[in-house]
Amino acid sequence: MLEGGVVGQSVQRVDGLVKVTGESYFAADEKVPAALVLKVLRSRVAHAVVKRIDISEAEKIPGVVRVFTYADIPGENSYGIMVKDQPVLTDKIRFIGDAIALVVAENPDAARKGAEAVKVETEELPPLYDVWSAMAEGAPPIHDKGNILTVGRVKKGDAAAALSRADVVISRLYRTQRVEHLYLETEAGIAYPEHNGLTIKVSTQNPHYDRRDVARVLGLPMNRVRIIQTPTGGGFGGKLDISVQCFLALAAWKLRRPVRMLYDREESFIATAKRHPFIIDYTSGANREGQLLAVKVRIIGDTGAYASYGPATLIRAAVHATGPYEVPSVDIEGLCVYTNNPFSGAMRGFGTPQMAFAFESQMDLLAQALQISPLEIRRRNILRPGSATATGQVLSDSVGIAKTLAAAWEKACQVMPGLGGENQ
Amino acid sequence: MDRFPLHMKVNGTQMTVDVDPGMRLLDVLRDVLGLTGTKEGCGEGECGVCSVILDGKIVDSCLVLAPQVQGREIITIEGVARNGELDILQEAFLEAGAVQCGFCTPGMILAGKALLDKNSHPDRREIARAISGNLCRCTGYAKIVKAVELAAARRSGKEGATGA
Amino acid sequence: MKKHGYGIGNMWYGVGNTAAPNPSGAFVDFLDDGTVIVLSGCADIGQGSSTVLAQIAAETLGVGLENVAVIAADTEVTPDAGATSASRQTYISGNAVRFAAEKAREQVIAQAAERLNLPADNVSLKDGQIWHQDEPTGTKIQDVIAQCRSKGILTLGQGWFNPVTTKLDPLTGQGAPYATYAFATQVAEVEADTETGVIEVKRIVAAHDVGRAINPQNVEGQIEGGCIMGMGYALLEEVAVNQGRIENPALSTYLIPTALDIPEMFPVIVEDEEPSGPYGAKGVGEPALVPTAAAIANAVADALGIRLYDLPLTPEKIVAAIRAAAEESELGLNG
Repeated sequence: MLEGGVVGQSVQRVDGLVKVTGESYFAADEKVPAALVLKVLRSRVAHAVVKRIDISEAEKIPGVVRVFTYADIPGENSYGIMVKDQPVLTDKIRFIGDAIALVVAENPDAARKGAEAVKVETEELPPLYDVWSAMAEGAPPIHDKGNILTVGRVKKGDAAAALSRADVVISRLYRTQRVEHLYLETEAGIAYPEHNGLTIKVSTQNPHYDRRDVARVLGLPMNRVRIIQTPTGGGFGGKLDISVQCFLALAAWKLRRPVRMLYDREESFIATAKRHPFIIDYTSGANREGQLLAVKVRIIGDTGAYASYGPATLIRAAVHATGPYEVPSVDIEGLCVYTNNPFSGAMRGFGTPQMAFAFESQMDLLAQALQISPLEIRRRNILRPGSATATGQVLSDSVGIAKTLAAAWEKACQVMPGLGGENQ
Repeated sequence: MDRFPLHMKVNGTQMTVDVDPGMRLLDVLRDVLGLTGTKEGCGEGECGVCSVILDGKIVDSCLVLAPQVQGREIITIEGVARNGELDILQEAFLEAGAVQCGFCTPGMILAGKALLDKNSHPDRREIARAISGNLCRCTGYAKIVKAVELAAARRSGKEGATGA
Repeated sequence: MKKHGYGIGNMWYGVGNTAAPNPSGAFVDFLDDGTVIVLSGCADIGQGSSTVLAQIAAETLGVGLENVAVIAADTEVTPDAGATSASRQTYISGNAVRFAAEKAREQVIAQAAERLNLPADNVSLKDGQIWHQDEPTGTKIQDVIAQCRSKGILTLGQGWFNPVTTKLDPLTGQGAPYATYAFATQVAEVEADTETGVIEVKRIVAAHDVGRAINPQNVEGQIEGGCIMGMGYALLEEVAVNQGRIENPALSTYLIPTALDIPEMFPVIVEDEEPSGPYGAKGVGEPALVPTAAAIANAVADALGIRLYDLPLTPEKIVAAIRAAAEESELGLNG
């Protein structure tokens, strides 16, 4: 039926030609006559209240057209895919890199000088650089509702009882690091007033979400904001958040002029989300036959100054904490915690690469303790059609882990000369 | 600073443009000549997305100042296809699936071209070394190396055919 | 001394947002010269979604890929397809495009059945022609579309898809957070230098159950790219933050793998079809990276007989762990 069809064929990508000839117009390649350029003044302290911003000197610099602060936002001064907790321009600083003022200028040099000339008076607050001090009693709240943003739980059966019955119990503490997406194209976009509304062409993974938050910030109906995604030079989760969109929107809308913005590499590092660093306390119990009986898992994710995709990352981590294994009893908790660190958000895998490091290390440790092979312990526990997951979902179709395990092992035995024998 | 007349050959065309001596070659290409196929990724010579061929050698155009290219020859991605016909390397990149987001692609193709212009039968290690100054975050490089191999094989096949 | 080790990393990954609606919509316009316009809000960020959506439309409408144009991710023109995240676009936007194309196809089939006096159930579209059962009829699709237009019938389709999920119980997390899951197994081979602590990944086998590979080369590209990003995560990459400040915000200080660092990679595509997916497809973008660091960490433990619990596994940490283990065993011998 599908033979000879185009599904299943390795056809060349539809946007391939313009990418090999150099014609593909990324956002920074857009030619916009008379566009003004934008530069953000970012905080150099991690936790503070902004008392006063003096833009008078900055606005005197030749080439500087306007300087905007939080007082200039026409709509709501907050955005965020899951929690609207991030200001476009802030009057409370929550991390090194928070945006305080937006300088609009005729050229990059004037914009930079303008940003340097903005005077900011702050009153510093005690900074919270790790999840433990953020969660401590009496810690200053980074946001009004406190520093524990979300608690995700997955509980099934009686994990404590099952662990006490287990023949082997393995407990370990895992730590994972903060990582940058490092798409090669940094954040970039242009904006211009058009048809009684505003058009933004931007490098993004999330144009319809961008429209929602830009409209919110400008106080415009959604149908007057148009987001056009430009060819996007990688994202990996890092271009799901708002980056340049609201700055472009604010300047273009208030000045009724075309504007453009490009993060340099350093700003791309400092001002955008990272992969969450996790602390994972993982206990697994199995019987003598190597069957998993229970896991108890505590996960803490440092989401930094803003929620971004933090809640989604931690709940996904909790839901996937068992790995692709059938575990009758689970007690899993994932905490998403605000700190004054650079904010963490979505990055390829949403917390599951962190969890895989932990649950797959646990499987090898169990195998070692039970003197069975890493392959065998996995064979005995993988999800199959009819298995129930940690959340009690019974899987029916397309449960391919038995097949991938067999296929990967078969291939590995072919291509890895030293593999075989004792590892099976 | 006073502008100066910069004479150079870009993609086969001799030209003179008046530029600031502090200008980077990258900006001359993108902002003065409108050749935006050359990208900027880091501005410090670490990522290779701004690669161009300068007198046959691959260079990061963000590290080259305008006066340094006086009287020299530059090839950018726009000069790789000829008369609307793709170069063998460009075709090989498409066929091998070596293009994903496309941001590293112009620099990668030029790095591959600079290699093949000097060494028509590179092995995998030589290809990897030739593109090691060009970062790619999407492909894991394997298909890019394959594309250069494929192009090398086709080029020498062609040369063999015409040279016989 | 150089020691070899092997490690397995398994993973599963729920496709789409967790326990939340995340629909995608699409429009398909089947034009009277037999070409197609697909409108989808789906942002192609290099992973190849526009190509995959074009393939799905072409397959559903029985036309060649060259006849399909995908207009993507322009909020004034395209319906919301949700975010390009959670490995969801092939499964969710792929379905939206398939359903939209099926609606457009219904009009063509009804018209063709009438014109050729055939039961609609036996009529299909393939290779630009109207087919009856397993035979081409010789009637071109575009002629039937032209006939539709002459009668005032537009061959337009809209479609949308939202994966079937439930909310999770707030106390127990019980529920069905995803409509389908992708699965994968990766096996890594490493060579560990016990003097320098440098880990070299020699080979990675990566078997991924993608349901159905709409475009196998694209799937391989995702797998290879994911493996290398995962290798960077395992061994190399860390944003160093001290007192809230990023200390390495540059490519000269934050290192990622280069072409000289890559192992031999062996992607293996496993197709355990998902009935609710477009032509059986699920997703692969994130799964490609998810088990890599785990597999490498297990391979390092296998090579050294010492396990590390902090990523990344840098040479400094490896050397320190080897020293600590040596000291411990010396103490053990003396005591």
